[in-house]
Formats: sequence, C-alpha cells, structure tokens
Amino acid sequence: MDVLEEKEEEEQREELKALDSSDNLQDVETEVSEEQVFVPSDVLDFDWSSIDTSQLPSLYHTNSLKEEKLLLVAEHFLQQYSHLCPDRKLLFLHPVNECGLQPSKLYSPTTILKYQRGNCFDFSVVLCSLLLGAGYDAYCVHGYATRQMCSLDETLELCPLLMKPQEVPKYGMKSRIKPLPDQQSMFELQQEAKKKAETEAAQKNKGREEEQVTEVGKLKRDPWSGLRVHAWVLVLSGKREVPETFFINPFTGNSHSTMDEHFLGIESVWNHRNYWVNMQDCRNGCKDLIFDLGDTLRWEVMLSGSNRSLQQLSDAEKEKRFPDRTMDDMQEKEDMSLDMPQSWVAPIQISPREFETRCSQGRKVTLYKQAKLEKWAPYLNENGLVKRLTIYADSDYTEAVEVREWFKNREDLLVMREVNKQTQVTTDYFSPGHLLSLKAHSYKSLEPKSEHVMEFYHEARVDGLQKRVEDVKEMTEYFVGRDDFLHVRQTVFGKRVKKVHLAGTSIDSSRPIVQIKECFHRNLEKPADEDVAERIFLITEETISLTYHLKDKYITASKKDLFKAAEDDRRGRETVMTPEMCIIYEAGCPEKAKKLLPLYELLQELTKEEKQLKLQVQQSEAEVLNILEIRKNEENDIKLSVSMYNTARSEMRAHQYEATNTIEDEFLGQKEQGQDYLAPFLIQIGYREKMTKGQALRVRDNCLTDLKHRLINKVNIIQARFEKAVEELQKKEQWFQEKRDQLSTEEEGDFLTRYSEAMFHIHILALRLNREKQVAPQKYLALEEKLRKDPRLAEHLGHA
Amino acid sequence: MSQLPNSIEPNVIDDEMVQKAIEEEYPEDLRELAKIDGINFKEVTELHLSFRNILQIDNMWQFESLTKLQLDNNIIEKIEALETLVHLVWLDLSFNNIEVIEGLDTLVKLQDLSLYSNRISKMEHMDTLQELQVFSIGKNNLTVLEDVTYLRRFKNLRSLNLSGNPLCHDEHYKLFVVAHLPDLLYLDFKLVNDTTREAADFKYHDRIEELEQEEAEALAQLEEKQAKQKELEYHQTAFVEHLNGSFLFDHMFAEDTETATLADLPEVGELLQAYRKEFVSVCENLFNFGLKEYEKREFEVSNFHGRLQEVLTTNQQEGKKIILDFENESKRRLDEIDNTRNQDLVASKRAEYKEEILQLSEVLMTLEVQLADQMEELITEFAENIAAIVSTFIENVKGFMTQCQDLENHHHEKLLEICITMLEISARNELDEDLPAGVRELLKDKTTIVNALNTSHSIRLRMIYKRESDIRSSTYRWQRSVMEKAFQDEIDRNRDRVKEIVQYIDNLMEELHTMEMLDLLE
Repeated sequence: MDVLEEKEEEEQREELKALDSSDNLQDVETEVSEEQVFVPSDVLDFDWSSIDTSQLPSLYHTNSLKEEKLLLVAEHFLQQYSHLCPDRKLLFLHPVNECGLQPSKLYSPTTILKYQRGNCFDFSVVLCSLLLGAGYDAYCVHGYATRQMCSLDETLELCPLLMKPQEVPKYGMKSRIKPLPDQQSMFELQQEAKKKAETEAAQKNKGREEEQVTEVGKLKRDPWSGLRVHAWVLVLSGKREVPETFFINPFTGNSHSTMDEHFLGIESVWNHRNYWVNMQDCRNGCKDLIFDLGDTLRWEVMLSGSNRSLQQLSDAEKEKRFPDRTMDDMQEKEDMSLDMPQSWVAPIQISPREFETRCSQGRKVTLYKQAKLEKWAPYLNENGLVKRLTIYADSDYTEAVEVREWFKNREDLLVMREVNKQTQVTTDYFSPGHLLSLKAHSYKSLEPKSEHVMEFYHEARVDGLQKRVEDVKEMTEYFVGRDDFLHVRQTVFGKRVKKVHLAGTSIDSSRPIVQIKECFHRNLEKPADEDVAERIFLITEETISLTYHLKDKYITASKKDLFKAAEDDRRGRETVMTPEMCIIYEAGCPEKAKKLLPLYELLQELTKEEKQLKLQVQQSEAEVLNILEIRKNEENDIKLSVSMYNTARSEMRAHQYEATNTIEDEFLGQKEQGQDYLAPFLIQIGYREKMTKGQALRVRDNCLTDLKHRLINKVNIIQARFEKAVEELQKKEQWFQEKRDQLSTEEEGDFLTRYSEAMFHIHILALRLNREKQVAPQKYLALEEKLRKDPRLAEHLGHA
Repeated sequence: MSQLPNSIEPNVIDDEMVQKAIEEEYPEDLRELAKIDGINFKEVTELHLSFRNILQIDNMWQFESLTKLQLDNNIIEKIEALETLVHLVWLDLSFNNIEVIEGLDTLVKLQDLSLYSNRISKMEHMDTLQELQVFSIGKNNLTVLEDVTYLRRFKNLRSLNLSGNPLCHDEHYKLFVVAHLPDLLYLDFKLVNDTTREAADFKYHDRIEELEQEEAEALAQLEEKQAKQKELEYHQTAFVEHLNGSFLFDHMFAEDTETATLADLPEVGELLQAYRKEFVSVCENLFNFGLKEYEKREFEVSNFHGRLQEVLTTNQQEGKKIILDFENESKRRLDEIDNTRNQDLVASKRAEYKEEILQLSEVLMTLEVQLADQMEELITEFAENIAAIVSTFIENVKGFMTQCQDLENHHHEKLLEICITMLEISARNELDEDLPAGVRELLKDKTTIVNALNTSHSIRLRMIYKRESDIRSSTYRWQRSVMEKAFQDEIDRNRDRVKEIVQYIDNLMEELHTMEMLDLLE
C-alpha cells in the first residue's frame, strides 16, 4: 500500500492525507460509492485507468514531511469524530489522488481539465480552485442534494432563456389605468372591481393549482432522497463584493440561494486552508444553516490553529502568525495548530483555445423542461451557429414548436434566428451595422412576392424607417423620429396589370398604387386645425382627403376633401380652382366663405407630393427586393468574421486567404525560403563556408542529376499508370463484348458509365504525360540557370 | 437723393397703393383667384413698396401679420406708423431721406434692418431690437467711431455694413469695429478673417477688457434688480409683499415726528427698539405663513386644472370614438346608397341615414350634458376648497394683525407711562440738561403730548388695519377672479362644444341634402 502513502489530495491547495489503507478511509470510499455519486454518462464510458499519471510532477506522487504530519492530524480528527458522532457519515478527508488506487479518488484539477471529465467532486474542486485564485471566499461542499441536482437533470427546470421577465411593471400599469371615479357610477366601478378581483383570484388559484400539479410531478418520490451525495461550491459573502452567501452547482455553473430546496444537507466544507464539519441540523435541508465558519459550535474544525476563516484574518495578524510558526514548530504541533502545507497541484492553466472551446469537443446539449439547448464553441460550425434552443410542445422532445438559433461572428451580422414551426415563419435578427440598417426580418421564404416584415435600426436611417410590412396587397411602413412627424405610411396596391412590353423596354415591376395613406403626429408648432393628422391619396379616384388633428377640447376633426380637376379643364379655363372642387368641414368655425387661393396652393402642393410619394413607394419596393437579393446571397455564402484582436485566428485566416489566392506562389516561395534545395547535396560534400570549384561542380551535377532522375521517374510513373489503365480498359471491353448478351440493361448501363469514366481517366493521364514530357526539359534548364545564380556556387560556376 | 428725375407728386401710403402692391405679389394666373377671395390686409405677410415716391408712411396699422416690408427707394423723411407691425422680421428703408432712427421700439422681432443711404448721423433708439442679425447703415452721416460701441448690445449681430460713412476714414476703423464687435462675421459684406481679428484683439485688448467689465457689472446689477422685482412679484401674488422686514414698521413711524423726537429719551429709545423687534418678528411670521398659504392655493388650483383636464381628455376620447365609429359606418352607408338603383330604396335608406345623424346628435348632446354636470361638480368642489383656504388665510392674517395691534397698544401704554413720568420730572424741573430742545419742548404741556401720542397711536393702528384689509381685499379679489374664470371657461367650453356639435350635424345634413339634390338633377 505504498501508493496510498503517497500524497493525496483533497482540494486544490488544501491537503489532507491518507494514512496507509486505514479501515476508515476504506469506509469513506465505500460510503461514497454506495451513495450514488452521479457521474455524467460520458464519464462512465471513459476508461479512467487509461489516464496517464506518469507525466505528472513528482509532487503529485510523494508526500512531504509536513504533509505526512497533516495526514496524521487528519487521522486523529477522523477517529475522534467517529467516536463522538458514531451515527454520522464518515468524513471525506484525505481521499487518494489519481496517482493512488481506484476507486473513489479525488483527481487533481490538472487531470480533470486535461480530460474534461469528472464527477461532482472533481468539478467542485476545479471550480473552487478557480474561484479562490480569483480572490473569492470559496469552499467545496460535501453534502446531499436532490436527484435532479446530482444527476444534472434539468428536464424539470424551465430553460433560463425562456424565463419570462418579472411581471412587476404590469401591476404598476394596472394601478395607473384606474378609471376616473368621476366618470362612472360608483356602483359600476365596484361591480367591476369585484369581478376583477374574482377573476384574479380565480387565476391565482388556477396558477396555484398548476403549480401544485407540477410540484407533484417534480416530486416523484425519489427512493434515494436525502442519500444522494453531491459536492458543490459555497461562496461566502464579503470578498470581491459578493453581497450574499450562495451556492454554485458545479455541473451547471448556476448559482443558487442557500435556501434552495434542492440542497438537502451538508456534511462538511473545505478549501485550501481547513476542513470544517457541519454540526448543525440538516433536517430542513440547508435553509437554516448558518455559514459562520468561525463558530465552533456549528462548525467543527480540523486544524484548530487556522480556525478562523480567512476573511476574519487581518494582514497584520497573518504576518504575526507566520514567524510564530517557523520559529516554534514544536509548540505548534502541540497546539494542533498545524498549518496547511502548500498545494502540490501545479497552477491551473487553461489556454485561450480551451477556454473558447469550453465543453469537450466544443459541443454541449442540455435538456430542459420541454426544451433542448445545444451549444457550440464559436467557429466550430461553418455557419457560425453557437447556440440552438428547440422548444417542444411535449415533454418527450418530439414535437418541436419553435427553434431559436444564435450565431456569432457572422459577416452578415445575423445574431439570431427564430423559426416558428407552426406558422413556418422565420425571423432573423441582425446586430447594428447590416446593410440598410436591417434589424429583423420575418418571412416564410426569401422570395419577393411573399409576406415580409422587416425591422430596421431607425436611428441609423435617414428616413427614420422602423418597420416595413409587405404583402401582396399592401405595404405599411412605420417611422420614428421624423422631422415631418410622419409615423405611418400605408400603400394599397391594385392587381398587377399585365402590360405588353415592347421589346427593349424595361419591365415595370411595380404594382399599380390604389391608395396611399399617411399618418402624422401632432406638430405643436402649428395650430391643431392646420396640422394634418392623416392624409389619404386616392390615386385612382383623383381625390385627396385630409384630416386634421383635434383642437383642444374638440371632438370633431377638421377635414378637407380635394378633387383634382381633369387635366383638360385646368389648361382650358382661366379658373384653376372652383368651390366645387373641395368639401371642407372646419370644426368650431361656422361657415366661412371658402378662400380659393390657399386651397389652390394646397392642392398644387399635394399634387406634387403625391408624385414624390409614388416614387418613394417604388423605391421602397425596390429596397425590399434589394434586401431580399442580398440576404439570399449572404445565406448562400456564409462567411465568418474574425476580430483583429483574435490573433491566432486572424493569422490563420490570413494564411487561408493567401493560400486560396496564391497557392502556387506560396508553394514556390516555401521551397525557396523554407527549404534549401541544395542542402542534401551540400551535406553530401560536407558543406562549410567555402567550397572548391570541384566541390561546386559536383554539387551542381548531383543536383541536376537528381532532378533528371526525378523527372524521369515521374514520367515513368505516369506512363506506367497510363499503360495499366489502358490494359484494364481493354480487358473490360473484351469482357463486355463476350458477355454482352447476358447482361441486363442495368448492368450494361453500369458498365458504360464505368467505361466512360475509365476513358476519361486515361485521357487525363495521356494529357499529363504529354505535358510532363514537354515541361521536363524546361524545368531542367531552369534549375541549371538557378544553380548558376546561386550565391554559394556562383563564384565557381559563373564563368562556366 | 433718391428722387427720380421724372418724379411726380410725393406720395403718402394709402389703401389704393397698398392694394395694388399686394395684387402684384401674386403671379398673374392667380391674380383673378385672389380677387375672388378678396384681400384681407391682416393676413398679408410681405409687402413691397419700393420706388413709389413715398414721402410719408401711413395706413400700415392693419397689416398685423406682416413679416417683410420693403420701403426702399422712396423719399421718406421720418420713420413712423410702423409701431403695429410687431411681427416684422425684415425691414428695408434704404435709399430714403431719414435723419433719425426712431419709431422702431416695438419691432422686437426684427432681424434684418437696412437703413443704407440715408442721412443718419447717430445710432440710437434701437435698444429693444435684440434679435437683430443683419444691420446695414452704410452711406450715412455717421462721424464718431466711438458710437460703434452702441452696437455691442446686439448679441446676435453677425453682419454689419458701415461703409460710406465719414467714420470709415479713420485709419483704425476696421480694427476698432472688429475689436468692439467680436461676434461679427461680416463687416461691409466681407468676411472678417482671423488675422484681422487677432490684430484687433491685440490693439484694443485693454480697452475691450475694461468695457467688458463695465458691461458685466451693469448686467449683474440689472439681473439683481430683475431678481428683486421677480421676488417682489412673487410676494405680491402671495399678498404679503414688504412684510419680510421692517417696512411696515418703518412706514408706521415715518411721519411721526413726535415719536422721533421722544426717541431721544433713553427709555423711549429702548422701548422702541424692543417694540420694533417684536413687531418685525410678527410680520415675518405672517410673511412666511403667507408664502405657505400661497403654495397651498397654487396647489389647489393646479390640482383642479389637472382634474379638469383629465375629465376633458377622457370625454374628448369618448366623443372622438363615437364620431369615428359613426364616420366609418356612414361611409359604408353612403356607398350603399350610391350603389342602389331602386329609387324608393334609396329614399328609405336616406331617411334611415338622416335618422342616424339625428341619433348621433342626441348621443353627442347627452355626452355633453354629462360632461357639463361633471364639470359643475368639479367647479363647485373647487369653489368650496378655495373658499375654505381663503377663509383660513384671512382668519390667520387677522390673528397676526391682532398681535401687531396688541403690540402697538402695549407700546403706546408704555410710552404714555414714560411720558407722564417725564412730565412729572419736568414739572419738578429735574429734567436732564442734555436733553434736546425738541424733547424739552414736548414735555412742557401734558395735554399736548398726550394728544400727540394718541393721534400717532391711532394713525399707526389704522395703518395696521389698512394692511390687513389690503390683504383681505386682494385675497377676495383673487378668489373672485379665479372662480369667475373657472365658471366662464366652463361656459365658453360648453358653448363651443354645443356649437361644434350643431355645426357637425348641420354639415352632415347638408352633405346628405346635396346628394339628394344632385340625384334629382340627374
């Protein structure tokens, strides 16, 4: 049992040591294994005996003197503990490390990170080490938890992405919309309130019932309840501005309140400084636990010297304690105030690449309640997909309702895509910066004639367009923050008239416009009855109708309907405006004689604007087509962008780029720069700085001969392949001729395709052979020339 | 100067000239239309009266909304009759015979003023034209370069033309102007470049600094004055002006020579000091109370208006919805009538429609009646609240004033006591030798002094009473005006709404009628 005497490690820097195979230790191990420590399935498949410990530093294999001492202390502690509390589970003190014996070991973070596998203890140790390193007051916890927690089963949890935002504001709204008491009879009001209260109560009841139902579903009696051992991380408040003590589940990385009912009890906690045994009652789970580790009544401590938790130690005190210890080791031993030795674990290192990859193989699938969440490392998928959430209608994950996908680093700035499986509507979301400030796009297909809803970053657009909804009959555009107060423009299209186009005329793709309606916000600089609220251009009816904003306290809006005179009328007659051409209602202004001149000017103005509007609508249509075209192209050729700060990737990218553009150049370049073509020959002659003429000539000849051989070889190989192919073909043809009659049409067809393939192959070989024969002399000459110019040989060959 | 060789009679602006000028503003094809409409002088915004040999400006009072007026190239000698054109932004008086700048005080919106080529020798009477941006006064008789400092008061002035004035002959003319008008962009229609500006700064640096300091001081004084004025106004609206201090007290003793004389007596002096202190403290309490009460009143009023507005808005929404529903419905109905061939059916449908219009009228009127009821309720409640606040206020004021009167009475008694003692001493001829002669004189006769003291006492009491009644009357006046306004507003509102409904219904009816007529014609 030598191995067990080797140093063993509990947590990170903390160390607790195993004695030689004491029964106690054995017990701990069996307890732990009996109690179903959950191991993720892929970990089960993993052969732990295959891990390689030989590369670990010697510190991992041996115990120092101090560590030995500590092991003794631990053993003492354990004995006392089991004596005093015979009913309780044995402590998880000094398990063996990966260099020890199976089973029930505690692996060092080094190994866990290397293989990216482990159980809850392993995970907790890694996480806790990282947190301690980052300055948090963190502890590993050995305790009990529910099945879902222990087995990484989140299928009863709502996916965090689906959590609804708090409904608090809604209540605020409700109280704000309270109707005015003056307006309604109190009786009605009371009735209504009563009704509301009733429905609310009913809803609440319903909700509660539902909750209860789900609760029941959740609490399918777990026979192992309370016996499932789990390890997790405890972070105490205080350091790094942590306001409240909380738990972290190492499997999910989610934080939980210490009141969380999933945590059923705590045996002990430890970190690099000490080991604390919980003496509090855990019958109510962890709800009532008090995490004041300095309280010796509640937390029994193993190394009494370092009793106080770190947060209570002032720097001065720490300093004081150090000299004490070094100076008087003996005394300390008597005090049992042995300090924890330095950790033997090498510093934890996570390369940027590993960090980016996150999960092993860069992929992770999590099942939530009626939802499946898949995650990928960035750049793993060629389309930039990093996350996909599938929402199901049922709990068996068969009927998908909605799929949401998140993307990263896409050059087209697509960040999210939502596909509603029921309506077949896809919605793409873009981050700012996309062409024409596209923000979101909903569609069934990218074809132009279907329905499209496009949202835009209106701040970035000159026209303040926020949204455009288009279908076959209508196009509605919504604007925000325009100087002209326009906020909605709705265009109604007629049926596309099939026009006969003369050859050469461009095809008119725009639909005939029947009506354009525009709505405006109130412009406070104008009086209300001069401020147009809505104007409708009935283009086919040659009518324009204006509705103005309501004047203060008025309930009827002023209106003007203008009829455009026919073209002939206008030109033919003097009068350009007649009272019949408009119908006016002016709220609050009893009939006044209509002034024609302003009306005429108004009509002129509106006619001009109508023309512009038509143009604008056509432009909008063109823009839609343009966007669709661009989107199609982007989807067909997805590119990922690389940040210039991501040096590794951007270099790789640059290489790829070069590679695609200048494969050949690079190839030659590499030959020239990367490898010395003369090297093998120079070595043959034992190249030093200088060489004689004879040597130079020899090098040259060797080099040339070598090339000649290679060229000849190459030609020979091609020749041989060519001949072989021809031979085979002939054989096949012969066979075909012989058996032709017995072959089915299918076999015949098969033969024919293979025959033509073979012919093609032969043809290529012939071509290559020819080319090789032609090029060979040129290559030979080129090398000769190059050799002549080579600086090392030049002085000898220059005049040769 | 600008007299044309073939000049006819000098003119005065009259309606005919103006009429013609306005007509000429329209393009030819619209002139006819404009004539049909008739021209309303009140709506004209621009007027060109150049080259009309005008000697005297007149008949301009009707052009209320005029923003641009051109009177250049006439023979005008005096700027007059422009006072009513308060919206004027652009005024051109160039090429005239004006000698003095005047009559522009009311044109506070003026941004562009041209007085080019006149006979002006001094820049003056323009202090109110704070919006002035472009000012042309070239080719005049300005001689004193120093006068340019007058233009410093126009903070928005960006372009100035002075060319052709005698003062331009000064060798430092340009630098002087640039230095004194640092915000100027164009001088004599040329851009002021940085080099000039720097040179000017360098040359006149000290002078300008001095000037700026003076101006800053003046400004500070003005601001202080304004702030004080504003505060006083605030106090006045709270009806407690001049009560935050010894104003009332000093006022009470201002013309009281006897007391002043007596104050030379050491005991009287002390007494007066104590009295003054207490009196002022009561006044100050009253003052603070007054301000608090003012806030209360304001809150009540704004609260009332807020609730009023809420009710009105809700009602407006409701009415709007009714109208909107009706209009959508009526559109459908009219289309239906249009598409019906059967004359009888058309007639019956029309009748139905008419019925509906009447119904709408009914609904709207009912709504209005409801609203009026609500408003009345609100106003009544408001009146009650205001009345309560006012009566509390008056009560309390009375309390404070009684305190003042008590103090006065007390003081008077004390004073009498002292005087009588002094009289006795005086009777024994034991008076201090150093007492001023006036006091000695007074203390000679008992009746005189008692009478004098009684008179001034009653005067002071009256003053206190008057202050109280002032407060009371202005409070009541305020109450009355607030309530009257509330009632009047409601009456106006009600009338407007009823008018609106009637008009709307009439309009609908008329529309229907027109359609009928058209049908009959067909």
